[in-house]
Amino acid sequence: MIKTIMRHEWRSLLLDRTLWFITTLFALLIGYGASNGSAWVAFQQTALTAAQNEERSRYSQAQAELARIEQGGKASSAFTNPRLPSVAASRAGTRYAILPPSPLASLSVGQSDLYPYYFKVSSQSRQTFLNNEEVENPANLLAGRFDLSFVIIYIFPLLILALSYNLLSAEREQGTLQMILSQPVRLRDYVLGKVLVRTLIILSLTFGFSIAGFLISGGTITTAEGFYRLLLWMGTVGVYGAFWFSLAILVNGAGRSSATNALSLAGLWLLFVLLIPSILNLVVSAIHPVPSRIEMIQATRRASTEATTKGSALMARYLEDHPELVTDREVDPNDFVLRTLAIQAETERLVQPVIDHFDQQTFRQQSLIDRWRFLSPAIVAQSTLNDVAGTSFSRYRHFLRLVEDFHQRWRSHFTPLIVRRVELRATDYENFPVFQFKEESQRGLLRRVLIGLFGLLVPVILTGGFGFRVLRRYSIGG
Amino acid sequence: MIKLIARKEFTEMLRDGRFRLAAAIVLVLLLASLLMGGQHYRELKRQHELAQAETREQWLRQPAKNPHSAAHYGVYAFKPRMLPSMLDRGIDSFVGQSVWLEAHKQNEFKYRPAQDSTAVQRFGELTASTVLQLLIPLLIILLSFSTFAGEREQGTLRQLISVGVRQSDLVWGKALGVSGALGLLLLPATIIGVSALLLASGGALPGASLSRLAWMSIGYLLYFGLFIGLSLTVSARASSAQMALVLLLGFWVINGVIAPRAVADIGRRLYPTPSAFSFQQTIDREMQSGPDGHDSADKRTTALRERVLKQYGVDRVEALPINFAGLSLQESEEHGNLIFDRHYGDLWSRFEQQNRLKWWTGLLAPMMAMQSFSMGLAGTDMFHHQDFAAAAESYRRMLIRKMNDDLTYNAVQKDFSYQAQPDLWQTVDEFRYQAPSTRIALIRQRTSLAILATWCLTSLGVAILFARRMKVD
Repeated sequence: MIKTIMRHEWRSLLLDRTLWFITTLFALLIGYGASNGSAWVAFQQTALTAAQNEERSRYSQAQAELARIEQGGKASSAFTNPRLPSVAASRAGTRYAILPPSPLASLSVGQSDLYPYYFKVSSQSRQTFLNNEEVENPANLLAGRFDLSFVIIYIFPLLILALSYNLLSAEREQGTLQMILSQPVRLRDYVLGKVLVRTLIILSLTFGFSIAGFLISGGTITTAEGFYRLLLWMGTVGVYGAFWFSLAILVNGAGRSSATNALSLAGLWLLFVLLIPSILNLVVSAIHPVPSRIEMIQATRRASTEATTKGSALMARYLEDHPELVTDREVDPNDFVLRTLAIQAETERLVQPVIDHFDQQTFRQQSLIDRWRFLSPAIVAQSTLNDVAGTSFSRYRHFLRLVEDFHQRWRSHFTPLIVRRVELRATDYENFPVFQFKEESQRGLLRRVLIGLFGLLVPVILTGGFGFRVLRRYSIGG
Repeated sequence: MIKLIARKEFTEMLRDGRFRLAAAIVLVLLLASLLMGGQHYRELKRQHELAQAETREQWLRQPAKNPHSAAHYGVYAFKPRMLPSMLDRGIDSFVGQSVWLEAHKQNEFKYRPAQDSTAVQRFGELTASTVLQLLIPLLIILLSFSTFAGEREQGTLRQLISVGVRQSDLVWGKALGVSGALGLLLLPATIIGVSALLLASGGALPGASLSRLAWMSIGYLLYFGLFIGLSLTVSARASSAQMALVLLLGFWVINGVIAPRAVADIGRRLYPTPSAFSFQQTIDREMQSGPDGHDSADKRTTALRERVLKQYGVDRVEALPINFAGLSLQESEEHGNLIFDRHYGDLWSRFEQQNRLKWWTGLLAPMMAMQSFSMGLAGTDMFHHQDFAAAAESYRRMLIRKMNDDLTYNAVQKDFSYQAQPDLWQTVDEFRYQAPSTRIALIRQRTSLAILATWCLTSLGVAILFARRMKVD
């Protein structure tokens, strides 16, 4: 029976201009969104390549200079002499830590336009290289990107609602509903058939266009990682769409006029996509306010002044804490290099609580959002799609942790060399630590995505179930 | 006659439960956003004043040291907020809030507050401007989509015309009715808003804020007016009330949701900006070897040395009555300033081109003009940010020049062993920033204001034109 209904519905939709209009519009928007996303990924790739080239040419310059010095030449200045480990660790030999865009990055820009995606790691404190934001017109950041995930989160529901706000009300207003239901057709089956056809159309359009857009923009699904993430993406989009269909059934089931349905559904869209997120944002930042960066800047300054005045006293303590650095040579209290290291360590120790407080507050905000995001399927869809595309906070935090480890490794490689005043040779440059990005664990990702999917499925089942119950009491008379 | 029609519309709307519900929601949201906006403003103002005083204190309390070390130590400049910013935060969450003013380079503003927020922020912040730009137009649509189309469906339109009501009276009456209902909402909102502003400012509204707020209100009234005109036009033309509603909702979505993002990405394509990496790399290269690659730092120093030696009629640096290192530092500072001016100038003019495109899109999607006008008067747009950045930069140049001059004229033959006494720090005035006047802000926004006014007048005019020729049934 449902098959017949679907076939009939399919024919009448084909004759309706609305469908064609919506299909064309949707194709255009998805195409535009996919091309914007891939333009951003290409932009990142170019910057990353330029950074890698810079590193390579800096290394070969340093090595050429070293070769010259080894053959008896003189270093031009102590500040740039590549033989000194302190110069290598903070200037000549610094390496880039790179967060490569994930296979699906072009589908959702997410937070990747706010967070840095590469750092020039040196032996100096982390704060000196962590502020590596991309140049961007702030008005553009405010508006956000027109990427595929924007089309999915904002516009996709509107197209679903445009196709289904008058699912039953239009037929009732035209009087065709009575005619149809005088046949041996159950209202429930009829609605189901109508919704299924629309779901098939909308989903095949979405999947078809997004995969096409993704492939055209140079994405690959041949890798296991890409394919796996694409499956999760489509699952999320499918369930998110189902939510909006179930909402349309529920509203139609209330038996009001088409205009009232349109108004109610527009109101619900506004509620879920604009109001709940912005209210939640307001509430979360009121409950766990992130301390001001202004205060952090000041704390850092205070700490460095304090450490500098303590100067030589710190040096003794620094050596006590690091016995491995003590050589048989006597320590000169005016040793500039050692003094700098000691002051740096003390400054970082003093500032650490302030930075920790920052991390705690952002983490608290994030966990509060993670819990309350289920209030709006739009937020769940946003966070899940960002996770799948690898442009969420969690992948960035994963990257930060790797950078932190690498920074430690970098310092422990160089500090002994600096203290012992080793003179570097060209071959030493090849043994400097190298940053390797390790993708976040698939299990962690899967867990987050599944929680998100679950958070979308529950409202689908609730509204859909309730909608079909309401249909039982549907009055088909005008 | 107009009055009668207006009164009928007004009463009908007040009795409509949908309107009452929607109006209540809008009012609550407006209240919440104003209170939070006020608190946010007060908190930032407090932090700003503390930090500004502390950075000054740190500068003054430096021990005797070489002026060039003091120049490296530098000061921070923190961007102050204007009172109207509590209504519209504009780009404030997406630009750094402070800049370090130090020797040798013009730094970027660091720490965009949005980086410390969650991704939910990207759905938009709930501020008074969001409510005014997005929700009130929706309320207007809700109030007026069925004005003509509904009466036509019920057959009352034919009756009205038959008793000799002029169509233009009908338009004015209905527009007045909608405005009346809206006024009923906006009046308490304004009272709440003014009290929130008074609360935030600590009792008295400064004149500059007052004139900015007045102009902001004018902009918003034009914006509401154009939505009333547009809704009446569509209602007069549409075949049914349902059609009118769908068309108006479609326009609302394009205007408020799609246009801002679509235009941002078009702007990015038309006027691309360099990556941070290549921006920095170009500046570094030119600092090293001059813009054309033939003007290396060494060459410049040699040329300067020859010039100075000739000027003082001596044959070696040691014989100079001034300190050559100080002079050379200032020379390289000036060289750097030219490079910074050019590159930041290029970058900012790119941003400007992108933002101009947004204004002009206002002709199609009036929210783009409204947004820019509102931010412009709230002091939270790119223009105000750049004005502050330029003021901070010229302060930096003054400070560095003072330090270098001291080195040049007081450290003869001493070079880097020279130490300036702490009274030198006193000779550098404190950084005080004066935000642009309302007049300047308004001149900057003349295009967006003109676009809003054009929209408002045209849509009301077209509403009358269409109502005259509308089908009665």
